[in-house]
Formats: sequence, C-alpha cells, structure tokens
Amino acid sequence: MKKVLVYVEDGYAQESLSLLEAVRQLYPDQHVETYALLINSDASAIDGVCDVLLTLEDGTLQPFDQKGLCDVFTSVHTRYSFDAILFLATPMGRCIAPSVSMRLETGLVADVTAIANDDGQISLIRPAYSGKIMAGIRIKGEGPVMMSIRIGVFTYQGTDTVQSTNIGLEGLDYRHGNIKVMGTKEKKIPYDIRESDVLISGGAGCSDMESLQDLADLLGGHVSASRAVVDKGIVPRAIQVGQSGKTVSPSLYIALGIHGALQHVEGLKDIPHIISVNTNKDAPICSISDIVVEGDALPFVAKLIRRIKEGQQR
Amino acid sequence: MVKEELIKQLSTILTEEQVNTDKDALYDAAADRYKKYAKARKVLNVPTPIAIVYPKDTEEVRKLLMFCNANRVNVIPRGGKTATEGGLENWKDTTIVIDALHLDEIIKIDTYNSQATVQAGVALQTLEDELQRVGYTTGHSPQSKPVAKYGGLVATRSIGQLSTLYGGIEDMVVGLECVFPDGHVSRIKNVPRRAGGPDIRHIAIGNEGTLCYITEVTVKIFRHYPENNRFLGYLVKDVASGIKVLREVMVNGFRPSVARTYSEEDAAQHFYHFHENKCVLLFMAEGPKGIVDATVTAIEDAVKKYHEGIIKQVDSTLIETWFNQLNWSQQDIDDEFLGMIDHDSHSGFTTEISADWETIPKIYHNVIKRIRKEFPRVQDLTMLGGHSSHSYLNGTNMYFVYNYKILCEPEDELIIYHHPLQRIIVEETLKMGGSMCHHHGIGKYRSEWTKDEHGSAYYMLEKLKEAFDPNGIMNYGTIFPQEEGLKYIE
Amino acid sequence: MRIVCVVKFVPDVDNFTYNYETHTIEREHSPMLINPDDARALGFALTMKKREPQTCIEVVTMAPRSVIPQLEDILRLGFDSATLISDQLFAGSDTYVTSKLLSSVIRKIPYDCILSGTHAIDGDTSHVPSQIAQSLDLDHLNFIHHIEEERFTCSSAVVEVEGESSYTTFEIALPALLSLTRESAYRLPYVRYKNLNLDVSERLHILTNEQLGFDPAEVGLSGSRTQVVSTHTKEHMTRRKKVVKSDDEGIEVIYTFLKSNGFI
Ligand SMILES: Cc1cc2nc3c(=O)[nH]c(=O)nc-3n(C[C@H](O)[C@H](O)[C@H](O)COP(=O)(O)OP(=O)(O)OC[C@H]3O[C@@H](n4cnc5c(N)ncnc54)[C@H](O)[C@@H]3O)c2cc1C
Ligand SMILES: Cc1cc2nc3c(=O)[nH]c(=O)nc-3n(C[C@H](O)[C@H](O)[C@H](O)COP(=O)(O)OP(=O)(O)OC[C@H]3O[C@@H](n4cnc5c(N)ncnc54)[C@H](O)[C@@H]3O)c2cc1C
Repeated sequence: MKKVLVYVEDGYAQESLSLLEAVRQLYPDQHVETYALLINSDASAIDGVCDVLLTLEDGTLQPFDQKGLCDVFTSVHTRYSFDAILFLATPMGRCIAPSVSMRLETGLVADVTAIANDDGQISLIRPAYSGKIMAGIRIKGEGPVMMSIRIGVFTYQGTDTVQSTNIGLEGLDYRHGNIKVMGTKEKKIPYDIRESDVLISGGAGCSDMESLQDLADLLGGHVSASRAVVDKGIVPRAIQVGQSGKTVSPSLYIALGIHGALQHVEGLKDIPHIISVNTNKDAPICSISDIVVEGDALPFVAKLIRRIKEGQQR
Repeated sequence: MVKEELIKQLSTILTEEQVNTDKDALYDAAADRYKKYAKARKVLNVPTPIAIVYPKDTEEVRKLLMFCNANRVNVIPRGGKTATEGGLENWKDTTIVIDALHLDEIIKIDTYNSQATVQAGVALQTLEDELQRVGYTTGHSPQSKPVAKYGGLVATRSIGQLSTLYGGIEDMVVGLECVFPDGHVSRIKNVPRRAGGPDIRHIAIGNEGTLCYITEVTVKIFRHYPENNRFLGYLVKDVASGIKVLREVMVNGFRPSVARTYSEEDAAQHFYHFHENKCVLLFMAEGPKGIVDATVTAIEDAVKKYHEGIIKQVDSTLIETWFNQLNWSQQDIDDEFLGMIDHDSHSGFTTEISADWETIPKIYHNVIKRIRKEFPRVQDLTMLGGHSSHSYLNGTNMYFVYNYKILCEPEDELIIYHHPLQRIIVEETLKMGGSMCHHHGIGKYRSEWTKDEHGSAYYMLEKLKEAFDPNGIMNYGTIFPQEEGLKYIE
Repeated sequence: MRIVCVVKFVPDVDNFTYNYETHTIEREHSPMLINPDDARALGFALTMKKREPQTCIEVVTMAPRSVIPQLEDILRLGFDSATLISDQLFAGSDTYVTSKLLSSVIRKIPYDCILSGTHAIDGDTSHVPSQIAQSLDLDHLNFIHHIEEERFTCSSAVVEVEGESSYTTFEIALPALLSLTRESAYRLPYVRYKNLNLDVSERLHILTNEQLGFDPAEVGLSGSRTQVVSTHTKEHMTRRKKVVKSDDEGIEVIYTFLKSNGFI
C-alpha cells in the first residue's frame, strides 16, 4: 500500500482534485491511501474524495510563511511517513514544495505534465527552457517522491466516493517566520498575456474589442491586441503583442483583423495553432496561420460564440 | 549676448507665442533620429538649443537670420523632423531652431502647367492628398511621406520610392525662394528650362540648412493613373542576379516606378510571408496604360533573359499589399520611440550609397564580407543586408540595412555598433568610387568623409559656404567637417 | 550593508539550437546570459550601492568556467567580488545538490540579505531559492517585483510580491532571501565603453571541490535525487493555411478544429 499526501491550498480545493488523478497515474496498480493537508482551508470539495483529511486551523500562520509551513509539512510527514507528496504549482505551492524537499533531503520535480511508473521506476515529464522542450526526469533516492503540477494539466476522472476521515492536527511542532502581510492591491489588467494559453487578439479590422471577451472566456483565454488598437487608445499597452509590446507563446492565437506586420509577428513565439480572420486572405498574418477565415472579424466572433454555446447545450 | 537677452530679443522680432522655450521641446530639438536611442533613454550628450521659433512668413525668416548672423547664433532650420543623419542635431551652446510650422500654405496648384507651389512647411502628404483629388500626384514618395515637409525634402535632396519613374526631388523642383544669413531673399523663377548660367537651384537643393533657409518651392506635378498600377515580384538567387535584371530593364529604356532587389536577410524582414530565404526582385509599373503594358513586357523579357538567376515568380497581390503598407506615419515613429524606452532595441539603422552597375554588387559583397570578419560585435547583429531601390541609366543605389541587440548603455550604442558598421560601408564605397550618401544627406556624422566624397570638387562646396555663410551660423557641423564636433562623434 | 546575489548563467532559450540526432541542446554557439530574473536582482543591489556606497555586494554562481568573461563584466559594473563554484564533479547536479553546494559557500560569507531570481529560464524549476533559504534557515519570498528602497535596512525590508491577480506587500525581517522577478524594474546596466577592458581578476574567486571538500558521491549526478534522462522538443504542426469563408461551413471547420485540439 502507498500513502500519499496532497496539499489542498486555500482557494484551490476544486483544482486540487487533479492531484488525485496524478496520484492514480503514479501508482496505477497499487492500493493508495490519500491524505489531504488543509491549512486554514475549506475541505468541502475534497470531502468524500480523499481518505483522510488532515486539517490545521491557525490564524497566526500566514500564507507564504515558508519557514512555518515547511515546519508543518515536515512534522506531518514525520508522523505519517508518506511515499509521495504532491503540490499544485501555485505561487505558494512553488514556494513551499522546494523547501520541504530540501528539509526531507529528497528530489522534487516541477510542473509535471505526464507520469510513468515502470515497475517502481518512476519517470516524469515536464517542460523546461521556457516551455520549448519537454524533459523526462527519473526519480532516484529514497523518497518521498515529490512533484508539483500545474493547474489544468491532469483531469480528475474518479467517481467513487469514500468515507473521509477527519483528523484535526494537534500538537504539531512549528515556528512562525518573520514575515507580515501589510496589504494587497488588485492588478489593473488581472492577467499577463505572456502567461495566457489562449489569446483572442484584435487588430485594426476589429472595431469592438469588448466583444472579444466572451469568446476569450469560452476558450479559457484572454484578450490581446495589435498596435493599431493600442495606439487608438482603445486598450492599454499592457496587452499589446509585438516588437514594442510583449512576446507571447499561447497554444492558440486567434488573430482578428490583424494585418501581421513583421513588428507584430515578432511578438509571436512558438505558437502551435494560429487562426486568422481577415477580409484580405493574402494579408501576411495568413501565411503563418493554420486556418484563415476570409471575412469580417466581428460577425465571425458572434457566429463562433453561438456555435460553441450550441455545442455546450447539446 | 546672454541666453535670456537673446530670447527676449527674439520675442521682439516675433510674438511671444512664436518663441518656444519649453524644456521638453528643446530636449526633443537637440537631436534627430540619428541619436534616437540615446534620446529615448534621455541620455543625449549634446547641448539643447535655447529656443524654437515659428516664423509666419519670409520676412520673419529674414529678420531672424539677420539677427542670428549679427549675434553669431547658430541656426538649425527644421521641417518634419524625420532627418536621419544628424542634420537636426545641435552642436552649439547657442542655437535657435527655425521651424517651418506656420509656413504651411499651399500657394497654388496649377494643373494646366503641371506645377504646384507650396511653402516650406507643407507636408508632402498634404499636397499629395490635394493633388489626388484632382487626378494628379507629386510623384514623390519617400517612406517618410506622411511626415516630411517640403523644406526638408528639398534641403536633403530626398528621393521617393517611385523615383525610377518620377526622379528625385531635384528632378521635380522648378523654382524656389530662399533666404540667406545676411537677409538676402532669392527667388528662382519657374520656367521649363533655361541656359542662364549654372543651375542655381542646386545651391539650395541639398544644402541641408547650411547655406540658406528655403521658404517656398514650386514642383512639377504628374497625371495620376492608379488604376493602371501593376506589380511583379520574383524570388532570385542572389543580389547580383536581381541587379542584372534591374539593369537590363533600365538600359533598354524603360522606367518602372519601383524597381528593387532585396538581399535574403532584408527580404526576410519585409516579406516574411513569401521570401523562402531567397532574394526578392520586384517592380511596379505605373502611368498611362500603354506605357504600363510595355513596361511589364519589358520586365518579363528581362526576367526571361536572365532566367538562370530567377527561382520563381510570386503572386503580385502579395507585392501590392506589401507596398501599400510601407510608409511610416508619425504614429510609427512615436511607437518606435516608446519601444526604445522599454526595450534594448530599435528598428535598426541604414546607410545608403550609390555606384554604377558594375561596382554596386562588388561594394555589397565587400561590405558584407568585411563586417562579418571585422565587426567586434558581429554576434549581436540580428540583421545585416540591403536592397537596391533606386535605379538609373548608369547605376543604382544600395541601401544597407542592419539591426542588432543593443547590449550596451544607450550612451555607447553608436560608438559600439552603428559607427563601426557605417565606417565600413562608407570606406568600401569611397574606395570603389561610389557615393557614400545616396539620399539621406551627409548630416553631421558623415561630415568626417565629406572631403573624401568630393575630392578636388570640395573646393567648390567650400567656397559656397564661405560666400553665403561667412560667419558659419547655418547648421554648424552639417556637411562641412568641424574639428570641434569630433567630440560628439567619438 | 552586505548583500549576496546568487546568479545563474543560462543559454539564450530564444535562440538555442536543438540537435535532433543526439537529443541535446547545443549551447556552444550562443554565449551564456545572466538569467533575466537574476539581472534584476543584481540591478537592485547596484541601485542600493549607488544610494549607500558602503554597501558590499558579493556575487555567487555555480557554472562552467566558460562564464568567466561574463562574470568579469559583472565585476566591471562595480560589484565587489564574485565567487564561481566550478568543478567537473558538480556537473549534472539537480536542484537539491545545486542548492546544497551554493548554501555551503554562502554560509561562509557574512550577509544581511541574499538576493536571487525567482526562476531560471532553462531549468525552469524555481526550486533553488526556496531550497537555499531552507538550508540556511532563512525566511524567503518569491515573485518580488518591487522593494522599497527607503525601507531596505540591515534589519528588515518591505517588498511587493506579484500574485496571480493581485500584489501583496510584505514586511520581512532580515537576514532573509528575496527572489525578484523579471517584471521588476531594476535594470542591470551594461559595462561602459571605456571600462570594457578593465582588469578585475583580483576580485574573482574560483572554488572547486578541492576547497569545498564534498564526498564525490554526494554531488553532481551521483548525489542528485532526480536526473534528466531525455529531452525532446514539443511537436509543432506544420501550417497548412487552409482558407475558409465566414459562413456556416467555415464556422464548423473552426469549431471542429478547436474541439479536436482540446480548446473547447
Ligand atoms: C521612416 C523614415 C523614412 C524615410 N524615408 C526616406 C526616403 O524614402 N527617401 C528619402 O530621401 N529620405 C527618407 N527619409 C529621410 C527624411 O525623411 C528625409 O530626409 C526628408 O526629406 C526630411 O524632411 P523633413 O521635413 O522631415 O526635414 P527635417 O528632418 O526637419 O530636416 C532635414 C534637414 O533639412 C534641413 N531643413 C529642413 N527644413 C529646411 C528649410 N526650410 N530650409 C533649409 N533647410 C531645411 C534641416 O536643417 C535638416 O538638416 C526617411 C526618414 C524616416 C524617418
Ligand atoms: C531540462 C531540465 C529539467 C530539469 N528538471 C529538474 C527537476 O525537475 N528537478 C530538479 O531538481 N532539477 C531539475 N533540473 C536540474 C536543474 O535545472 C539544475 O539543478 C539547475 O542548476 C538549477 O535549477 P533551475 O535551473 O531550475 O533554477 P531555478 O531554481 O529556477 O533558479 C532560480 C534562481 O536560483 C538561483 N540559481 C539557480 N541555479 C543557480 C546556480 N547554478 N548558481 C547560482 N544561482 C543559481 C538564481 O538566482 C535563479 O534565478 C533540470 C534540468 C534540465 C536541463
């Protein structure tokens, strides 16, 4: 039997389900007992999915207190001795996982996208070189096996429910780090187009940028723009793609009414799929597109939104 | 006279609104696109002028020049601010910029006699739009067309992208009015041709603000037949193959409006959508239908004759789409400026030279070879190539284009990157008997080689300066080399 | 104030060449660069030194000796000294070993604050800073995009951390490890033309395992808990440039395309 700990961070309970799919692939043919660690976080999404819910309520333990949280993890591990510990690659997960692995003197693999277990020989696949290559990593040493997983990479498929055991963690030995939150402020543009997986990009031939948002939402992406619309002051420079804007590498780029001057195209790096919608099918952008839709951008957007919604209803 | 006193006096010659001493405006006036990167990063090493003035007529220009001449104040004439070679850069502590902002009247459009008269501050695009409304064109189409103004265009001996048909600005200017430092106003009358001694238009054309201030220009205008435009494009083996075809078309007596050959690297940045890593040869034919048809046939014949250098023809709509996107608007220029503040890069530099048909491919070859061998930062080059874009009966130009990652402080960019590259291009060109300055003018940074460019004929140029600007108040450091200016070059 | 900057040299990931036969990344052609995040950290340290000339900044890196010219350039900018940890024995170290080695060296240097990048653009793990902090038992913050210069003292710092949709301001007691991101505005200058050939060899120290004295089994590939066994590039579809109209048929083509590629 294997014992695995998954960290269910506050605010990411639903996303944490994907960690359980990773666990299933890590130990495909073995009985696994899953433990969820919940620190000041709500358990409802994971209740009935993990065998054991370890909960710690302590308002004095601040998020991002790496020292304190690392102490908590090591104390819990000392108590239960896990075979594997999994994190979501959230900003906090990225911070705690390495310190825990260092304390436990074990290896850690970041941003895992695929898992293979060949008779106990574990290999993990992860992107490196800013996503340009994929690397196969072999786990050596005594363990526990540790990894972090990006949100959305694994999809939880389990349907069985279990009777979760709730354990309130008592008497753990941990310190508090010397950090203090002074305040927070929202970002003006709450996303960074360099991080987006899908970009719906509008150019001069796209007279209404706001109507792109719905399509972006449906495809789980964000809106970006070419210089033409930024110059007109319609959208902020922060979402401009190109030489004087940002260089982006989404998996899908939909160019709506964008001519594709070299200055724009220089901002497109390693994009697997490009769709362009243009009244001129010979516009340069079309030459680097998988599919070119010859036509007006906005009516196309409206029609595609309708089609996707239809698909959802069926 | 001290600065404050000078400014006070200027306000008595003009009104107060015509004298601008705003700090940002003066910083902007201290340099042109030559030092664009240092300028964007706010590290210019040259003095700022003391004022920018906006005269409303020739009389005001006259008074201003006489005032400056009497007080030994350096004068920089200014138009659309698109100068690329330092023509607008300031090298003197006491300088005023005379801007043609208010000299913005289109005085006359005379279609019957095919000529138009404008003041120096009329933007080329403005006149072009007016003319197209009545079925005419200026025939002048530099890439800076939306921004450049007639005074600057004439003062730099500019040339447009359609020059192979319409000629350079010197072929268009019929007559003009200009003012000399001593206050003398000369009007050169508008006639079709004359044999009245040397052609004195050429003293004003190309003077880059070093001899006189141009206030008014009359240019030829042409019937416009945009509906007849035809485009042709080819991928070719190398630069020399493309130039061979250009020559064939020209020497057979045809005048396509655009006739160009791009090197592989330059083609890649212009035609990323079809270049296939090859050189590109392209043409545009315009004018009356019969001429266009004959020109297209002639181009096709030339292509056939040199077929071994041709890889394939490209879809002409691709060429047309590209050509229609080529000009730089003020917005493009501003955008590059903003980009330079955020990124350690700009959109590159160019150096344009000319030589006869035989020599041009050799210069191209020698330059590229020498840069690859000698340039210490060759690994930082992101682009090095060129194109021939203006052809003549006896030769053509080469527009060297280069760009690089700017891995140095903005203050050092020119000395580490552009100067050594420009030096190689200029030296190789002069060595082979070509001209180091095909169309941007000499400006300040090629004045180092003005004497080599002109050789024994420099005598004539120098005498002009002595005669018309004995006190040396006109655009100090431009065209005519100045020992003292070296500190800004090195 | 004494600052240690841990800096990684990385290949230019935008321009590396990939050898499809040997499945390796060919780095020889392009020189190694300072990892972008780390350049920000260096830039901030230099800003502080400009404000307070007594500030002493030591740069620590583990890298092959081929980075010496780049390290010398860093010294030409006014950093006080640089330590290069370099030994054939350390090749292939995973983050665990890398952090162990770096920590063992930093431990011997007096410091009030350690600065690093948040993540390296090649290995891309973001492990090393947290691991060093753990080894040295320090508090640590990642994703820092702003440090308040006025409140940066020997005993504490106020920093702004970038989160997914917001910025959070923290006060953190020093000594601690602060990791900057490349979004931060601290620019590392280039060496001025006149200093390009400045001799800085006296301020550059190279440490091999002879000085560090690790058991060879504890370091490099043998000491690592993880090992890279294969690399391959992501497969990119060649573009077909299929042209459709914006009618029902065209929309269906797009819809199917989005669906079959998992975007819907
Ligand atoms: C994007 C871009 C593209 C370009 N493309 C071309 C091109 O295709 N072909 C080409 O030939 N050039 C080109 N240039 C260069 C430039 O546009 C030309 O030299 C143009 O003629 C300058 O005109 P301007 O009105 O902007 O003059 P300015 O930049 O204001 O001045 C240019 C020079 O002329 C002098 N001057 C200006 N007005 C007067 C006057 N009234 N009397 C006397 N002297 C005066 C100035 O002192 C200065 O030395 C380009 C420049 C840019 C930025
Ligand atoms: C394709 C590939 C995949 C890899 N995957 C893993 C993996 O999953 N797990 C694993 O343990 N190792 C992995 N490694 C090994 C790892 O990249 C190296 O150990 C590397 O030296 C440090 O990790 P990093 O590049 O991820 O740095 P990061 O942890 O991302 O670097 C963050 C910061 O730490 C500091 N830093 C990092 N390295 C150094 C250094 N050498 N000298 C000074 N400061 C430094 C810098 O300030 C840097 O900005 C992988 C290597 C490759 C090539």
